[in-house]
Amino acid sequence: MKKILGFLIAAALLLSVVGCQQPAPKEWDIPFLNSLTGAIASIGEYLEWGAERAAKEINDAGGIKGKPVKIVPVDTALDPQKGSTEMARLVKNTLVALGPVPEPVIMAAMPIAVEAGMPSITASTSLEYAQKFFPWTVSWLPSTQDRLAPLVAAWAKQFGDMKQVVQFVENYGPWPGMADAHAAGLAGLGIKMLDKVEVPSDAVTFGPLVVKALSEKPDGIVFACKPASAAKLIKELKSRGWKKMDHLLLFSSADAPDLYTTGGKDLDGAQIYNYINPDIDNPRWDAFKKAYGDAHGGQEPPSLSTNYYDAVYMIKDAIEKTGVTGLPGKLKQERKMIADYMANVQGFHGIMFDWDMKDGVPTNKPSFIFKIQDAKKVLVQEVK
Amino acid sequence: MPLELYYFLSITAVNILLSWALYLPYRVAHLHFITVANMAISGYAAAWLVMSLHVPFGWALLAGFVLGGLIGWLVSLFIGDAPTFAVVIVGFTFIFIARTVIENTPAVGGSMGIFGLPNIGGSPETHRATIMAILAAMLLLVGFLLHRFEHSRLGRAASAIFVDKDLAASLGVDIRGLGRLLQTVSCTIAGGTGVLYGFIYKSFHLDFFTFGLVGIAMTIIFVGGYSTPWGTVVLAPILYGVPLLFPPAIQEWRIVIYGAALVLVLVLKPEGFVTRRFVVSVESFLSGATRKKR
Repeated sequence: MKKILGFLIAAALLLSVVGCQQPAPKEWDIPFLNSLTGAIASIGEYLEWGAERAAKEINDAGGIKGKPVKIVPVDTALDPQKGSTEMARLVKNTLVALGPVPEPVIMAAMPIAVEAGMPSITASTSLEYAQKFFPWTVSWLPSTQDRLAPLVAAWAKQFGDMKQVVQFVENYGPWPGMADAHAAGLAGLGIKMLDKVEVPSDAVTFGPLVVKALSEKPDGIVFACKPASAAKLIKELKSRGWKKMDHLLLFSSADAPDLYTTGGKDLDGAQIYNYINPDIDNPRWDAFKKAYGDAHGGQEPPSLSTNYYDAVYMIKDAIEKTGVTGLPGKLKQERKMIADYMANVQGFHGIMFDWDMKDGVPTNKPSFIFKIQDAKKVLVQEVK
Repeated sequence: MPLELYYFLSITAVNILLSWALYLPYRVAHLHFITVANMAISGYAAAWLVMSLHVPFGWALLAGFVLGGLIGWLVSLFIGDAPTFAVVIVGFTFIFIARTVIENTPAVGGSMGIFGLPNIGGSPETHRATIMAILAAMLLLVGFLLHRFEHSRLGRAASAIFVDKDLAASLGVDIRGLGRLLQTVSCTIAGGTGVLYGFIYKSFHLDFFTFGLVGIAMTIIFVGGYSTPWGTVVLAPILYGVPLLFPPAIQEWRIVIYGAALVLVLVLKPEGFVTRRFVVSVESFLSGATRKKR
């Protein structure tokens, strides 16, 4: 009798343990905390599009470990309040997430991911923001100083007559820091930096700003402000007789559709730097460009459109190469495995080029300087 | 407490306190948006005290209250009895000034913001418990003071000013004095609330204190009901909580739904959902029920 009772208790315990083990999910859900409504909804749309595109390609090729991947859009509406509550909801069960976007929501929501030990890829911000949340995110870009100083120096070296430069700077997030890095690069060449001209975020008239800049008699001008503001400043410059268009350099964050729609032909000849090169030729990137154009009235993919595309592939690699199972019981351990993998991945196959990560920072991503012609970018040089 | 519940409750509490801070001077027809600027100034100042001078959080919070009150009092010396429009302009101007000063002050992170505020009490759990306890205490205290104010001579004087300043003056109401008092108390509440707001996120960014925050508070007050503090208590959790329950397909229509609700309420029920008459009838009902029990 005792033996039977013992057997029954053991069987009950075994069944209860087995019953408690939740099965692995049937698909890989990746929530994407993104600003799909509000002031930067147009940017949120193409970030989302890139992630969805990667998921579609992966699913067409058989998914991740045979299971489909699904991007779950979570709209934070550029609102830190909503972003933090959504992140608090996600960290319970989510293996890995994308976003948040942009900086104010990152600052409000990422501490929650860090506390919970959940990786969330903030692929649209600079290292200066991302590194505060290491190792639970990775940076998509090296440090602002390291990448921008040589870039702007390479631009200035094209012109022997570049003796003094003025910058238009808008006080938003990392942009003043980017302007400082531009200045450092130019100072290294012995070029004099003139007093910067601050561009108010809500500026509606740009004439006085341009007059102020021109009064300093610059040989070249760098723009670190919103795309539409940069376009309007260039229009004002041209209307006041500025001829040396290639002596104008726009920073990467200005490379967005509203730059070209606002600036039109007045931008022709100006130069712009960025981290993606539309002229790179490979089947994945060609297919991406075609699909993007089809979905967006023939437009070229904007600068950030590939970031979350690559991020989804990086997650796929992390899951496949580290043996992540997705079992809820292993959540904590597998989150760490994904974070560790991404922080130091070597030879990651991005859509345009391969790159390595060291401690969460990319080490060998190239940058590009282009000339704008007919609202298209024509490569001038690659800077490493 | 589940993490999402903590964020829901703490942010709702902040929204109620901010709305009350706006509601209070609105009792004398002052839309005092300087409260949002004060949240930012006190919040950043407290964060700087904690991060750079290693001042304990309690003292930094106290400094936030004092700084908010001081700014509110100084400004009230000039606009204590100003017309509504002038107070609105001063408030907006102050938000611009505060933003410009902060984004050009490297000591508080400039346009990048302040990261990595420490956990109060050393651990995340203690941090959350402390924040919740302080917010709950503030809600009770401010709610109690508002309740007392509504039933006091000052409250009746404020109602008179709201309806007609000249009439109130002819009744002997000190319009300027009452305006100053309400503006100062409002800014004191806002100062402390700003400190707690940033410490919930453990970071400060200028975009935490935008006109969007003014919009949230205005919607809470005017849809909830601007003639009693209870409208704020009812609407703050609804306005913030219900959208979180929307399915993703409806999420993107959230702003349209807000806008439509606001327009409908302003057209159909201009005093908002919770009116003074409703509150009085509830109070009469409750006191009647109490008397019957006796």
